[in-house]
Amino acid sequence: MGALIDGESRPRLESWLAGATGATRVSVADEGTLGGGAISLNLAVTLDIDGGPRAGRHACVLRAQPGGAAVASGMKASISKAQEFAALRAAFGAGVAAPEPIAACGDPAVLGADFYIMRRAEGIGAGHKVVKADQPQRGLARELGRQLGRLHKAGPDTPGLEDLPVPAASPALDCVHTYRDWLGDLALRDAVLAWGLRWLEIHAPPPGDLVLCHRDYRTGNYLVKDGGLTAILDWEFAGFSDPMEDLGWFCARSWRFGRHDREAGGLAGREDFYAGYEETSGRRVDPQAVAYWETAAYMRWAAIAVLQERRHTSGEEPSLELALTGRMLPEIELDLLRHIHGLGLTASAPAAVGAEPSGDAGEERVA
Amino acid sequence: MRTSPDAQELLSIVAETFRTDLLPHIPPAQRYTALMIANALGIVQRELAGADEAGHAMLAALALLYGEDADDSLSGADLRRRVEALQHRLCIEIAAGDFDHDGQDVLMECLEEIVQARLGIANPKLLRG
Repeated sequence: MGALIDGESRPRLESWLAGATGATRVSVADEGTLGGGAISLNLAVTLDIDGGPRAGRHACVLRAQPGGAAVASGMKASISKAQEFAALRAAFGAGVAAPEPIAACGDPAVLGADFYIMRRAEGIGAGHKVVKADQPQRGLARELGRQLGRLHKAGPDTPGLEDLPVPAASPALDCVHTYRDWLGDLALRDAVLAWGLRWLEIHAPPPGDLVLCHRDYRTGNYLVKDGGLTAILDWEFAGFSDPMEDLGWFCARSWRFGRHDREAGGLAGREDFYAGYEETSGRRVDPQAVAYWETAAYMRWAAIAVLQERRHTSGEEPSLELALTGRMLPEIELDLLRHIHGLGLTASAPAAVGAEPSGDAGEERVA
Repeated sequence: MRTSPDAQELLSIVAETFRTDLLPHIPPAQRYTALMIANALGIVQRELAGADEAGHAMLAALALLYGEDADDSLSGADLRRRVEALQHRLCIEIAAGDFDHDGQDVLMECLEEIVQARLGIANPKLLRG
């Protein structure tokens, strides 16, 4: 996708922003692309707003949905920019450390793509840098638990979330169907993925609370400055689900960036993360349910990797990075098998979840 | 007709030249891309050199379940097709619930070995031992 803001589109953007923020005049400085844009495009922009309630200078991010074929084929995993903005607003309203949402635009005449603008936060996001610490980052893990607990106060009844889809029957079985759909015929060619899907089907927990989940809540998707959390990013997968889904995703091996001894996102032990969650959510963490959703996390990541790889192999979006994502599949599958192995071998005895596993799967212990 | 050096030899010297002569001099902004190229070249090298070996390892793993159909005299495309056919059969049986109660230990052993064989090409650093 070419430059989003150029001499032609800038005046349109500025006049739209003036209307959206109740200003007399807005000028936009474009400071270039920010990282973390495998799916969305993130531009650093500075707004100078004259008049109205937001008068002043604001460091912001313009987040756009790239148009064209990529959307059609690849990214059915993500929600629209309008839905993402609604989720961000609900999270911000619930007191979550999300970037403050400013305005969303669904009019293609402005920039040729759906986009929204939010305040820019400072800090380091790259996972391998965030986990680099001599001592476990217990306070940060606990704070991330608290943030998640606050987010999970929002649900289908929260005003402004009417456009987010509600899972049909059970969130767990809904996920299994979704992963199967994303995988397509690979679910009948790759036996590890077939077993992962079957395992999730057999062990699916009954439907319980339905809350607003971030669905990509993990190290790498939040910013840290001087050891403290500044913002939780990347809301493009948000949706209603079982609250334990976000906890399982956060603790999955895939997002520990090599710090496998610190099971909560490579930061600290699960107990700190869980304790923070229980403080604000008013809900007990169910380690057995988290273990289920951690299996789901490996399946989901595997299915997303397949979607990413297809964006390349379909010819619609040639990219070395997308192509190599496909080659990560065996590594994700190894994590999946290790995790299931650690939970005990007998599908008909789910009580084995949390039992002492054998050998080097020891670090996968959930209780 | 003799083509010398062959594709594998040519790739090998390309990969080595890239890693030793170019990679250290790549500017920081392009370093991630350069590392992806080195990674991709490594995968292609290992796949060209070891596809049959990985195929036999996968066939041996599937032999735990389908011994009679795991013919280890196969090679090349025939070997690949046999592995694919057995995996397809296994996928169908798994989805039908054949492993819901019994045989999971053998299934897990088979799946772990299949993954190890594929990792040997995609990312051997993650192999145990």
